[in-house]
Parts: sequence; C-alpha cells; structure tokens
Amino acid sequence: MHGINFYLYLCFVKLICINRYLIIKTMKVTVNINLGGYAFNVDEDAYERLRQYMKTLEKEFSGESSSAEIMTDIEGRIAELFKMRLNSYKQVITMKDVEEVMVILGSPELISGSSTSEERPPRSQRRIYRDPDRRIIGGICAGLGAYFNWDPLIWRVLFAALVLAGGFGIALYLILWIVLPEAKTTAQKLEMKGDPVTIENIKDTVKEEFETVKKKMNL
Amino acid sequence: MNTDNTKAQMRKGILEYCILAVLSRNSCYAVDIINELKKAEVIVVEGTLYPLLTRQKNAGLLSYRWEESPQGPPRKYYELTEVGKIYLNELDKSWEALVESVNQIRDKK
Repeated sequence: MHGINFYLYLCFVKLICINRYLIIKTMKVTVNINLGGYAFNVDEDAYERLRQYMKTLEKEFSGESSSAEIMTDIEGRIAELFKMRLNSYKQVITMKDVEEVMVILGSPELISGSSTSEERPPRSQRRIYRDPDRRIIGGICAGLGAYFNWDPLIWRVLFAALVLAGGFGIALYLILWIVLPEAKTTAQKLEMKGDPVTIENIKDTVKEEFETVKKKMNL
Repeated sequence: MNTDNTKAQMRKGILEYCILAVLSRNSCYAVDIINELKKAEVIVVEGTLYPLLTRQKNAGLLSYRWEESPQGPPRKYYELTEVGKIYLNELDKSWEALVESVNQIRDKK
C-alpha cells in the first residue's frame, strides 16, 4: 500500500513538471513587426533570428549601388512567404517559419556566391596601445609587452637601465606616453594583443574582465 | 580541385543569360523566374536572383510594373526592354559559339 502511494506521488510530481515545461514552452512573447507594409506577429526568438539574417544580407549587399531596392524586394518576398504560412489557426510566425524562409532565400554566402571564393579571416591588425590593465606608470611597458608578446618586465628593466644611463629613458617614456593611445575599448585591447576583433573574442575578453573584477571585489 | 566550386562558377556565368531567356517569352514575377531556373537546376536559392534583377534593371535591360497579388505585397513583373532584347540576341549568339567551341575541343580525336 505504501509503495503504491509513493508511486502515485511520483506521478503527481512528474505531471506538475510536465505542465510547467509546457507553459514555459508555449507562452512565448511575440514581437510585432512591419515587413513590406504588412504587420506580423513574430515569436521573440524567431524575430531575433530574422533580424540577424536581414542584417547579414544587408551587409552582403552593401557594396551594391541599389542595395536598398534589393532589400525591399527581399523583404516583400519574405512577407509573402510569411503570409502563405499563416491562417486563422496559426497567427504567429515561429522559428520554424523563419528557418524555412531562410532556406528558400538562401544563406548570405550562397546568395553572393562567395561560397566559391575562399573564406577570408576576420581582419587582425596588431597595434601598439598603452595597456591600462597591467600598468605601473602609464602602461607603456605593458602595452609594448602585449604587442611584442614579451613579458612587460623586460621592457621595464630596459627603461630603468635607460633612465640610469643618462635620463634619456625618461624623455622616451614621456614621448611614448603622449604618442601611444590607451587601449580603452575591448576591440582595442584585442588589437593590442593581435587577436582578431570578432564577436566571440570580444565576448571572451569581457567575460575575462568580469572575472577579474569579481576576484578583486572578493565576490 | 573542388568540382562543386567549378560547377558553381559555371552556373554563375550563365545565370544572367538564363534570366533574360526566361523573360524573353513573357513578363514574369520574380518567383516565376525562380521556379523555372530551379527546375533547370541553374539556381539554388532565391536570394541570388534579386540582386541580379536589380542590376539588369539598372543597366536598362529590364523594366518592371507593379501588379496586385492575391497574397502579400504587390509584385514586380519584369519584362525585357528593347535594349534587353538586343542584348539577349548577342548573348544567344555568343552562347552558341561557346557551345560549339567546347564541343570542338572535347570531340577532337
């Protein structure tokens, strides 16, 4: 008897969990958008996907003289494809619809035919900055260290030697302080280390910085 | 060497010609053109067509008119202009010459 009771209890718990899951799965926030002069209700995640897609397309056509017209044509077509997917029982555009439309229209690479050319890696340019994160005075040695991939200590010893040798080091340091910009943004900090400036890298760096701050504040 | 790559390049080269050839019969809406090109396996995705149509229109080869649509926004119906017809005629000739050249090379014993 006790065993059955326990079993029923388990079923009950399971039921609640399933219900919860369903509610979370079904009650999505929708976004109202205007596509080619038509209003559409789009699930939030689907909207985000569509927005990103349109953005990459826009970038793809940005070299074109009449990119605005091409985008309007594509927008009109998307509106038409969405309309075909809606009826009185289905009033909201979902992720599935967006993905289907993206397959029909094609990925930006397929559209521009750049799939035939080699993938070009994101621009990575190394520049010298002053590194505010690892600085002792102005961050010059830290910045030089990041640029040449040496330990900043080597530069510090070098500068100290120059200072002791006749004061030329002080003048050089001051000039560099004036001339070199400080790496303020995350993109600049990536450039300083010679890492390509991509969204992924920026995300990683921001996360790293967050961890450092957390450690410093003893959270 | 990647054959897909070469095939894609070949298709890309004749795509403009094919669009004009489709439009030479009657004026079409973009999706009609796409369907025909898809059937002939010249084109893989719709998005490729829109930039090409706009480019050809800007070059004066095509013109368009708006037409009401039973579904969604009004549609652009494209048709060949006089310049476009002359242009297509040129392409026809050069296509035939091209096929002949390739055949001549291929069949040489």
